[in-house]
Amino acid sequence: MTLVTEKKAPARAPYPLRTEALRGFAPWAGLAVLLTLGAPLCGKADQWQGDWAETAGQVHTAMLITLPLAAAAGCWQGGRERRRRTEELWGTTVRSPLTRLLVAALPVALWAAVGYLVVVAAALLASWPYVQGDRPHLVLVPGDTVAMAAGALAGHVVGRVVPTRLAAPLLAVAGYVGLGIVTADGSDALRALSPTTESPGGGLPVWWQPWAMAVWTGGLAVAAALAYAARRRATALVPLAAALAAGALLAQTGNGLWHTDPLARRQVCDTSVSPAICVNARYAGMLPQVRDALSGITDKLDGVRNLPVRWADRGSAPRAGEAQLPGITPLGWSTVRGRLTDPAQYAWEAVAALQGYDCPDTSTTDRVLTADDAVENYLAPSPVQKAIDGYDARGDKARRTALRERVAARARLAGMAERERRDWLSAYFAARGDCRAKEVPAL
Amino acid sequence: MTTTRGPLLYARSRALPLTLAALAATAAFAVWAAGRLDAYLDPDRRVPIVALAPLLASAVIGTSLYSASDELDRTAVRPWWPRRLAQLAGLAALAALLVTPAVLGHTENFGPPAVIRNTLGCTGVTAAAAVLLGARLSWLPAFVYVTGVYLGSTTAHGRAATVWAWPMQPGSQPGAWVTALTAFAAGAALYAVRGARPEGPRG
Repeated sequence: MTLVTEKKAPARAPYPLRTEALRGFAPWAGLAVLLTLGAPLCGKADQWQGDWAETAGQVHTAMLITLPLAAAAGCWQGGRERRRRTEELWGTTVRSPLTRLLVAALPVALWAAVGYLVVVAAALLASWPYVQGDRPHLVLVPGDTVAMAAGALAGHVVGRVVPTRLAAPLLAVAGYVGLGIVTADGSDALRALSPTTESPGGGLPVWWQPWAMAVWTGGLAVAAALAYAARRRATALVPLAAALAAGALLAQTGNGLWHTDPLARRQVCDTSVSPAICVNARYAGMLPQVRDALSGITDKLDGVRNLPVRWADRGSAPRAGEAQLPGITPLGWSTVRGRLTDPAQYAWEAVAALQGYDCPDTSTTDRVLTADDAVENYLAPSPVQKAIDGYDARGDKARRTALRERVAARARLAGMAERERRDWLSAYFAARGDCRAKEVPAL
Repeated sequence: MTTTRGPLLYARSRALPLTLAALAATAAFAVWAAGRLDAYLDPDRRVPIVALAPLLASAVIGTSLYSASDELDRTAVRPWWPRRLAQLAGLAALAALLVTPAVLGHTENFGPPAVIRNTLGCTGVTAAAAVLLGARLSWLPAFVYVTGVYLGSTTAHGRAATVWAWPMQPGSQPGAWVTALTAFAAGAALYAVRGARPEGPRG
């Protein structure tokens, strides 16, 4: 009896694309994108965590540095065969020039896009626990991802064509400066063509903008690759035509690419108190906190007449009869990660908004200032009030006299009977609301 | 027939004529860009120049640290460190001198001191990268760091920020100067002692 042992078939060498993608420079390019984008985002996490729109805006505008970086990484990879002096050797292989180019270029493009997507996903996850309303803004992500891959591919072609060591850093800095100039002071049409562009007022793009942008950037890069390496160079005209069509569409539409988020115009209100408290619907979850912060004021104003109807937060100027709610945005100052950082300061700002701050200067007489100070101290004193008073107490005679008068006025307002104070406050808000300085009641 | 002396041969082997031309082009570009920024309205508008011109200059210096004959160099009898140090320090000084005209005036915030500091700091980082990564890719760490700080440090304040966000600080911040000079000293010392990482035709 004989034992027959079959020889194992020799393992097939993995496809070159797999080797190129897992080894060498490509994963490092992805890591560089990850770090370049991730580190600045971590540095200013206070300004975007807890706001879907701001999170999306930050990762999108950071394309300003990641796109040139992807192009530079592609350019570096493109110069590889020249550095290794293997160009002639490659010329003897049976693979077509286009296949060889794509096998070397696609892994960097892929990793650059993956690095970008990982940061986007991490940013969304980091924002999620703190959001107060709204929904994730993912509409720009496809266009941005394609732009990253296209930047790496176009950079690769540049690296093949330009035989100098400086090509990659030059491309990086030139790309950075070019995108910066277009974003900062380009014309509307030019700005619409830049992959880093964003809405002037934080609006949303029309639904086809990311796809047109993807065709514009991707088409140009594919056209460059085909023109450089395809057997029939005329095939480059197809993606070029598509890119130009998409580019023309973007440039023609210009500012029409963006529209205001309808949610940003809506408000969520608590009308159980007077004045009513409204926060923007994008931060609906902030309403209980804002109500708590302002509860001291609304309790004390119970029964007072002539007040503004509500504190409004429309993202534009308040209407007649409304007061502006102190800003929740921009994040990072009064609000960080879905929390009011300083409720006392917020309450003081809310009182200041009730006092008709947009009156002309002629209406701010000493009498008005004294009354304003007394009302602020009664409703919600500023956290730095003691420091200001201490500063005045150490000042010259005029300042000390003014301080004494202010303290006396505060004491008179606080010492009034409940009803008397309600009437005084009603008269005060009536006069302040109409900017009639002379009718502000004396203290 | 004339014989070419050592320093001249060294300069030629490091492609110094091309490097000098690239530095001059960088300076010209910086002056042109500064003219477009209307910086007389607000000196803070110079921040892109103050951050990016030194970055570009350091990339030029970094790629000039490449030696095409590394193995041959190592057989030399003479010590290399004086030449390396002279090359790096000379190029850094020249680059600092060349990028300064783009941002004259406003010395207290974004003027000549800030751009000189950034040139030294970026050159130090690039020189250290040349030792660790190789001269040809030496521009990458400084590029990643400076552009990252440029985007990320807009609201960074406090003493720690003057250290880590040194490329974006006004010229009079001592913390930023200390960091940049430390980076330059460390990078220059590392490069003088070790030289750029041998790369050969691979890489």
